[in-house]
Amino acid sequence: MAKRSVWSDNRFWQRSAAWITGFASVLLIWLTFDTMAQITIGTDADIKNGVTKRVPAPTVINYKITYEMSTKRGHEVPIIGGNDGQGMSLFQEKELFFGRDDWSEEEAAELLHLGKLGSQVKNCMNCHTLLGNGAYYAPDLTKAWLDPQWGPDGSMQAMTGKNTKEEAMAEFLQNPSKYPTHARQMPNLGITAEEAKGLVAFLKHMSSIDTNGFPRNFGKIEGAVHGK
Amino acid sequence: MIDPSVVRPEIALDDFLPIFVSSALVLVFGGFYVGIYTAVKVNILKKWTMPFAYLFWMLTAYCLYTMGSLMHVGDFTAKALVIAAIGLLLLPHAVYYMQDRVHKENEH
Amino acid sequence: MASNHLTGIGRESKQLATWYFTFAAILFGAQLLFGLVAAIQYVMPAFLFEVLDFSVARMLHINALVVWMVFAMFGAVYWLLPDETGIETVGIKIGKLLFWVFAAAIVVVVLVYLFIQVGPADEMSIWFIHEGREYIEAPRWADFGIVVVALGFVANLFLTGIKGKQTGIVTVLMADMIAFSGLYLCGMFFTDNISMDQYWWWWVIHLWVEATWEVYVGALAAYGLITMLGAHRKVVEMWLWIEVTMLFGSGILGLGHHYFWIGTPEYWWEIGALFSALEPLPLVAMFIHVLYDWGKTQGEQDAQGKEVSVIRNKPAFTWFVLNAFGNFLGAGIWGFFHTLPQVNLYTHGTQFTSAHGHLAFYGAYATILVGMMYIAIQGTNGIKVMNHTKSSIWAVSLLTGGMMGMTVALTIAGYVQVLVSRAQMGATWAAYFDGQSGIWFAQAMDWRLIMGVVMFAGFALLAKDFLTTGKAPVHQR
Repeated sequence: MAKRSVWSDNRFWQRSAAWITGFASVLLIWLTFDTMAQITIGTDADIKNGVTKRVPAPTVINYKITYEMSTKRGHEVPIIGGNDGQGMSLFQEKELFFGRDDWSEEEAAELLHLGKLGSQVKNCMNCHTLLGNGAYYAPDLTKAWLDPQWGPDGSMQAMTGKNTKEEAMAEFLQNPSKYPTHARQMPNLGITAEEAKGLVAFLKHMSSIDTNGFPRNFGKIEGAVHGK
Repeated sequence: MIDPSVVRPEIALDDFLPIFVSSALVLVFGGFYVGIYTAVKVNILKKWTMPFAYLFWMLTAYCLYTMGSLMHVGDFTAKALVIAAIGLLLLPHAVYYMQDRVHKENEH
Repeated sequence: MASNHLTGIGRESKQLATWYFTFAAILFGAQLLFGLVAAIQYVMPAFLFEVLDFSVARMLHINALVVWMVFAMFGAVYWLLPDETGIETVGIKIGKLLFWVFAAAIVVVVLVYLFIQVGPADEMSIWFIHEGREYIEAPRWADFGIVVVALGFVANLFLTGIKGKQTGIVTVLMADMIAFSGLYLCGMFFTDNISMDQYWWWWVIHLWVEATWEVYVGALAAYGLITMLGAHRKVVEMWLWIEVTMLFGSGILGLGHHYFWIGTPEYWWEIGALFSALEPLPLVAMFIHVLYDWGKTQGEQDAQGKEVSVIRNKPAFTWFVLNAFGNFLGAGIWGFFHTLPQVNLYTHGTQFTSAHGHLAFYGAYATILVGMMYIAIQGTNGIKVMNHTKSSIWAVSLLTGGMMGMTVALTIAGYVQVLVSRAQMGATWAAYFDGQSGIWFAQAMDWRLIMGVVMFAGFALLAKDFLTTGKAPVHQR
């Protein structure tokens, strides 16, 4: 019989398991506190004061959003209300959203709430990806708001007979199978006009979230944000 | 701690296939390494096959290197990959040593 | 599964286990069926359009997956508990009642998914239809039901573990199952903030499948090695603790690889990369472990001059070996090659993830749970040495072959997507459809469907074997 060694001692490994699991958990919880602080949704005051948040306030729907290269960070970042030239948002340039650019904090939050609820209830995630997570049967929606397809040069505004991006999107969401773009179509999910408005607000808000440069080179092709 | 090289420079289009192949091979070869090592130790395979185990580890390390350089990993990730490679080298030795130890202690 | 041979201590607990296994096997079939519907829709988009849309088929596919695995996991615990503790499970009556509550709730949830599908965008829909969050779509009312059932299950486990002999395996299971149940709570709230939503959603999904479920599999493998091979408990249990150390050591912070792109800070790149690089190591180690125990026990037997195999349940052992291998392949290899942020930037949200998901769930979990079902069939039929039948061999070959084929097909599809939709065209709507319409992608999807049919045939044989092998003459009684 060999001599007892610590490496073959059950209790040693039991304690190691407990300590390492405990340590990893504590580290994860600590990092969670830090991350929570960083991804908490911003306030309208933040936007007004020019404070960049990873997840901006719902009132971001009042502003023009673009996705531009930040040389400092080495990837694209959402730019809200104009670029200061250094890859930071100016929070100046507004953009009409369903005819208004003065959605109050409450109104915008209400729209976003409706949109987020809609995104879950209508099961978006089981065809599309949101922030890259979900199913792969339909395009990623992370930056869908910025997709050239819906812009003035894209085909969707003409197809739906609307003059703005948000109206085209809302019209499509209400009658998706009326505007088929491919053999694979979006089904009719009974989305009402109000819900569609909320969903578009949700999409616009999602495009303003700082996703560390995902998706890469979004809209690199013709007519895109960074057209080449 | 932020490592901008995570996203810059971009991966060249032609590099994607070698990256996927080499990163898959990392663990294929790694699996052969630990598999042969353990099989020799428990007498499923003949002793002379042992050098092949180490050969496979070397291939693993080479694939990790290829993968890392094609992806342009930064210093931090490079260190993590080296740790993983060394961990893999030591792993079957440690496992075998500990298993055998307990086995001997419990044979009567 | 006849239970006429279930006698002595733990009879009730084992009977409950067979109920759980039976329901799990039925749901496994349902999972494959809805998977087939979704796979057909990739090839023929008009199939069941606006009747049973892809979103609904896929929701059923992945929910059936999660639920059948949870059922089989609960069942496996009820099966091994009397063997480990030496006593009948405490509170088994409540355990049995909770089984019916759980099963009934699942049936209601599935019927609602199938026939109501979507509702208006309000809280009521979240409470009574579904939550629309991948894998944990179950409506809020069912969440609470699941919590109650899980609490009952954990209470059964704890009370039995405390009253009976508390082996290493039982101790690990107790700790693991309480974490497993507790984590579900992280997925039970609504927030308007999608980044926050996905942050906590991953706590449930990742900390289940890459931490607590893996540890659970380690405990199950330990039990299997002792039961099927007669491996030394001391060795196996020490090994189990090492596995727990490695799995939790790498898996808990490996959570970071889901936080690269969802709005969370950049430091997760480093944390995710480091711990993800380490995550395959325990899987490799689990693989060595099975090989080691098999070689050692067989070696001892051979040394005694006995020519017979040491394996007491061949079909189950086949599935357990496949588990060690499949875990390494599906979770290890297929996980590793897209886990570093440099490359994940392009692969995130493509069919690569799907390839990995399919092989990892099958390799790491389906295999070992099917193996446990065979152990239960052996026990309920009083079989001393259980052998393969023709259908058990065909079942395992077709299921595994089909899954491998499907994984390869999805990997090719993912590769096309990465090159065309991501690297070249930058992930827009147009880029997405350009990638989808490529000939390689389309053919990959055809092959995926064919391989899915192969798997389904394998499942049919598996079901047949489950129902008939108990009476088959090939076994030693």
